[in-house]
Amino acid sequence: MNAPIPASLSHPALARPDAGPLVLALPKGRILSELGPVLERAGIAPDPDYANEDSRKLRFRTNDPGLDVVRVRPFDVATFVAFGAAAIGVVGSDVLMEFDYPELYAPLDLRLGLCRLSIAAPAAVLAAEDDPARWSQIRVATKYPRIARRHFAARGVTADVVELSGAMELAPSLGLSRLILDLVQTGSTLRANGLVEIEHVANVSTRLIVNRAALKTRPELLGGWIARFRAAAAAS
Amino acid sequence: MTTHPSLLPAGFSDVLPPEAETEAAAIEAMLGVFAAHGYERVKPPLLEFEDSLLGGAGSATAAQTFRLMDPVSQRMMGLRADITPQVARIATVRLAQAPRPLRLSYNGQVLRVRGSELRPARQMAQAGVELIGADTPEADAEVVAVAAEALAAMGVPAVSFDLTLPTLADALLATLSLPPEQDEALRHALDRKDAAEVASHAGSLADVLDELLHAAGPADRALEALAAATLPPKPRALAERLARTVAAIRARAPDIALTADPLEFRGFRYYRGIGFTVFSAALSEEVGRGGGYMAGDEPATGVTLYPDAALRAAPPKPRRPRVFVPVPLAASGAALRRQGFATVAALGPVADAAAEARRLACSHLATEDGDARPLSGPLEGS
Repeated sequence: MNAPIPASLSHPALARPDAGPLVLALPKGRILSELGPVLERAGIAPDPDYANEDSRKLRFRTNDPGLDVVRVRPFDVATFVAFGAAAIGVVGSDVLMEFDYPELYAPLDLRLGLCRLSIAAPAAVLAAEDDPARWSQIRVATKYPRIARRHFAARGVTADVVELSGAMELAPSLGLSRLILDLVQTGSTLRANGLVEIEHVANVSTRLIVNRAALKTRPELLGGWIARFRAAAAAS
Repeated sequence: MTTHPSLLPAGFSDVLPPEAETEAAAIEAMLGVFAAHGYERVKPPLLEFEDSLLGGAGSATAAQTFRLMDPVSQRMMGLRADITPQVARIATVRLAQAPRPLRLSYNGQVLRVRGSELRPARQMAQAGVELIGADTPEADAEVVAVAAEALAAMGVPAVSFDLTLPTLADALLATLSLPPEQDEALRHALDRKDAAEVASHAGSLADVLDELLHAAGPADRALEALAAATLPPKPRALAERLARTVAAIRARAPDIALTADPLEFRGFRYYRGIGFTVFSAALSEEVGRGGGYMAGDEPATGVTLYPDAALRAAPPKPRRPRVFVPVPLAASGAALRRQGFATVAALGPVADAAAEARRLACSHLATEDGDARPLSGPLEGS
């Protein structure tokens, strides 16, 4: 029969379990290992399974009964925290730029995973008579479609984005696109694939992010965690 | 590809029983609180000519307003995205002669061109009050207290009010005279509380802005941080007004949870003076927003609550009990309704009244003595 559906069930993403531990979302991959010492200095010791990338568990308890850790893809950290599924998270500023969620605050730069977002092109193409100032429309392969469109729109160029989730460096040589927009740390992957950086888009570093509503409604709790991360980041 | 006949445009939905009744009852409860505090109802139309809808305070809603052409006057019309500017128009034109301070209330549906990721709905309910012709901490306190009482009447738990100074960032950034591009980047960084980005754009204001970003939190801590910060005269005046408003709210309703975020400037950009955002700890979205603005030449303050959001935070209300009334007992219906039952009348003779009652999702069956007996056992389909 039509028993009243609790409103919270019809909008699962918005109803926040008020009780229960705070959830900290951490990104798999590049940043996870660099983050270990910061967590340690912040006094957070997740279950041993957490550091094991092969573990099938997704949610881990910590030494603090009030804090659980989830380990998800970097792009998903932003989404979990934006919707309030996790109150706090760690993510690269590249992901923040791409999603630009209004519900995310980035109160602390952890100064980890430093790199840059750049546009790269095959060296051979550049040598030819291709003048970027004359571009009206270009095709770019990237996993950052919104950053790419915004970046080129700002200089009056329409970007046709080919969205890839990895191995962007292959795209120009196989004729998928002329340009790529990707993270560059040392530039060695680009060089190995015959690409050169032609434009710097942004510097990237790792940020501590918090959910806006969580910070507004539990300022002491969230403020306390931000302060702990601040001290931990400053000590490095 | 064929479209399913009941597919609605993105951001629009049907509201069914029992939610539609719950929503209507909740809005009624809020309006009752508004009326009890002397706020009189007004009912602006859904559509206005673009020039009047988007004039004055309404200009801030232009980007979110659906337009359509009036075939009669051949002029462009807008579907309201917010009711506050309409009430401000009514107050300054048709009710210009009414005594001040003028207290008006309203409720209605608004349409937005775009939903947000968190809140994809493009049609939403608004219910609110506007207090026109007063620009005092006591007026701020009244609006906050009335909003708190309205949310309490709906049963919304753990409500808090986040006080803001919507023009503080403007006043501070004006002293920097940044080129437009950098100014925009700095505002964006402030809005996202991105400390690193703020520091890279803020030049001589970096320290002050950093302090104020970290001042967001419990109201007292924010006031201390504002008091300690070095501020030019205009921002200083805003900070002092915030302190007086906090004191006025505490004096009027000491139990209201207050936080403050001096640098926040979200929402339609007509707010000035003291602004506020209403949250419930049970919810990741806002349940209302309010603050000071200009209604024509008059200072005004008000609050708009979002009943849809508030209902998601409120515990579900028990449904009105439904009683099945067979034809021979039809005369007892009025008495049962007076007791609070919803009566479901049989339209003809039925073989098994109890079974029919269950089939129609009734919880009770009318009895010979004019009473209702609860139906035991599981109801159909549950």
